[in-house]
Amino acid sequence: MKFFLILIIAIVLMNPALADALTADEIVDRSNLAYYYAGDDGRASLKMTITDRRGRDRVREMTLLRKDIEDGGRQKFYVYFHKPTDVSRMVFMVWKKTSGDDDRWLYLPAIDLVKRIASSDKRSSFAGGVFTYEDVSGRRSTDDTHELAGDGMLNGRAVYLIKNVPVDGSDVDFSHYIAHIDKETFLPMRGEYFNKKGEHYRTIEVLETTVIDGIPTVLKAKAEDREKGLKTTVEFSNIKYNIGLEEGLFKERYLRKPPKEVRR
Amino acid sequence: MKIFSYSIAVIALVFATTLPAYALSINGFAESAYGSRISDDTTREDSYNLLEGRLQLKGAHSPRIMEEWAPELSFKVELLADGYDERLEFIVREAALSFTPTDTVDVRLGRQVLTWGTGDLLFINDLFPKDYISFFTGRDDEYLKLPSDALKGSVFTDLASFNIVLMPVMEANNSVTGTRVSFYDGLKRSITGEAADRDFIRPEETTENIEIAIRGYKTVGSFEAALYYFRGFYKEPRGIVNATAEDFFYPKLSVYGASLRGPALGGIANMEAGYYHSREDKGGDNPLIENSSVKLIAGYSRDLGGDLSVGVQYMVEEILDYSSYKRGLSAGEPARDELRQLATLRLMKLMKNQTVTAGLFVFFSPTERDAYLRPSLGYTFTDAFKVTAGANIFTGKDDHTEFGQFDRNDNIYIRARYNF
Repeated sequence: MKFFLILIIAIVLMNPALADALTADEIVDRSNLAYYYAGDDGRASLKMTITDRRGRDRVREMTLLRKDIEDGGRQKFYVYFHKPTDVSRMVFMVWKKTSGDDDRWLYLPAIDLVKRIASSDKRSSFAGGVFTYEDVSGRRSTDDTHELAGDGMLNGRAVYLIKNVPVDGSDVDFSHYIAHIDKETFLPMRGEYFNKKGEHYRTIEVLETTVIDGIPTVLKAKAEDREKGLKTTVEFSNIKYNIGLEEGLFKERYLRKPPKEVRR
Repeated sequence: MKIFSYSIAVIALVFATTLPAYALSINGFAESAYGSRISDDTTREDSYNLLEGRLQLKGAHSPRIMEEWAPELSFKVELLADGYDERLEFIVREAALSFTPTDTVDVRLGRQVLTWGTGDLLFINDLFPKDYISFFTGRDDEYLKLPSDALKGSVFTDLASFNIVLMPVMEANNSVTGTRVSFYDGLKRSITGEAADRDFIRPEETTENIEIAIRGYKTVGSFEAALYYFRGFYKEPRGIVNATAEDFFYPKLSVYGASLRGPALGGIANMEAGYYHSREDKGGDNPLIENSSVKLIAGYSRDLGGDLSVGVQYMVEEILDYSSYKRGLSAGEPARDELRQLATLRLMKLMKNQTVTAGLFVFFSPTERDAYLRPSLGYTFTDAFKVTAGANIFTGKDDHTEFGQFDRNDNIYIRARYNF
């Protein structure tokens, strides 16, 4: 009897069709881990190009540091601005929490001011582009209900289509969004956002990926908001994982004196 | 003790000469600013109080010596062609060397802008120098803060973090003199402009007069708590040496304070308190010197969505030994309130993909019946080019109150800045 049980379990585990049968919630959780929690910490340079309706570009360059306190849970972010030059040395720091509002700080070097900023509006734009604060640090999976809407192909790769509907629609700008999640890497490759009228108005799309230290990694992504007439491209470089960032680095001390990890 | 700041300049020069040009990246801006008066006044120029061109250069360099101490040199210098004062000024806003001798200690030595405390444009425990003339006439907010020549040591322990700032030469505010901004002259009992002839006498440069400012702080959960201590001098000349000669001095001051800041009701709340101990007028019975006082701020700010944020603050300032203060007033001299109250409101809205910034900051005192409004509108044409226009509007029932005295300095300004 025991033998049969083990056999059945072995067959279930080895059968790709059955192993594939993840629930929508599991897919979203794995996708969050793959995209927002890669490694235990990380560092990257980010170039963000914001293009308006008339084709005028604005460019932001920054260095990002991230430390996971627990996988899928609390995280700390440190964003050091290099460009535009009027905000160079400015630092934005976030302590992401699993419940309640995140803690956010802004350091303004010209007046040596450490400012605390309210974070109740997560859908506001990050640095003036299409990406929101939530796009940058991740939306809590419990803020939406998830439904597996089917399978699809995107640029020759198999993806899950997940329909996400906000639990509380009053504080977001969309009625729902469809995430295209790569079946192999679990990276979210495309997000289509629908407004309250049901129109597809906003798209986030991954343009280029690579594998760094065995971790599937996004190199380039683009976001477009047709309502705002705005496009934003982000390009990551100098990406490193598991560099041993200390939690103590995400403190006021390092707002005023940037650590060697961000200076260039 | 000027040798202190010069030594920084020498260090900077030595490093600069040993440095290949490409190793140092320099940024900055060129700015033109004009501010027109919209009320008559008795200051030097009646039609404007801001007309200037400014070039700022800033940079930082990590020299390749003693790298285990992570040394960094930073500087920010300006050339100001000031059409109001009709002079060309070279300003060093920053020339500092910072290093980390051990894992738990940071040191910053030289000229630097220093800020701490939780108030928004209200300061209790931040006793670093300020320039209200710049603030009132439409220069960028950056210029409200003046740099200090200081040694700042920071110690980080598991228990708490500490900053200790030593300022060898007393750092004073850039006080209103009547040349650019008219004010209520308590000795003349009237609003005075250019005719004011006040002398501000600074304390002697002795070791005893070294100013010291200490902050101990700790983050508990999402809350930031801090304790402050300051021993130095009033930043404004709040003591009279000789009334007829209009000679003023900066009385000795100690401040003990505390603050708390953290999330509340979907926003950020802050509280800060300070006890100002006027060391040369302990009983409050010397009418020539500012009395001790207690100051308290409570504030709250939040995000209303749609790139609109709002902040409110309430400040109460109590003059201690008030009966002694009242007794010391001469006949007919307007008395300050025992409990001065001040409210502020900040509204900020970003529009057009955060390229347009519309802001309003209001100071309003229900006890002094005066107010100061600072509306502004900024437009970022490109990453490099930005234009800001705004106004400084003062109003008050009486001539002698904090903002009422500036009633004739209302102005509108425009600044165009090119960043590089």
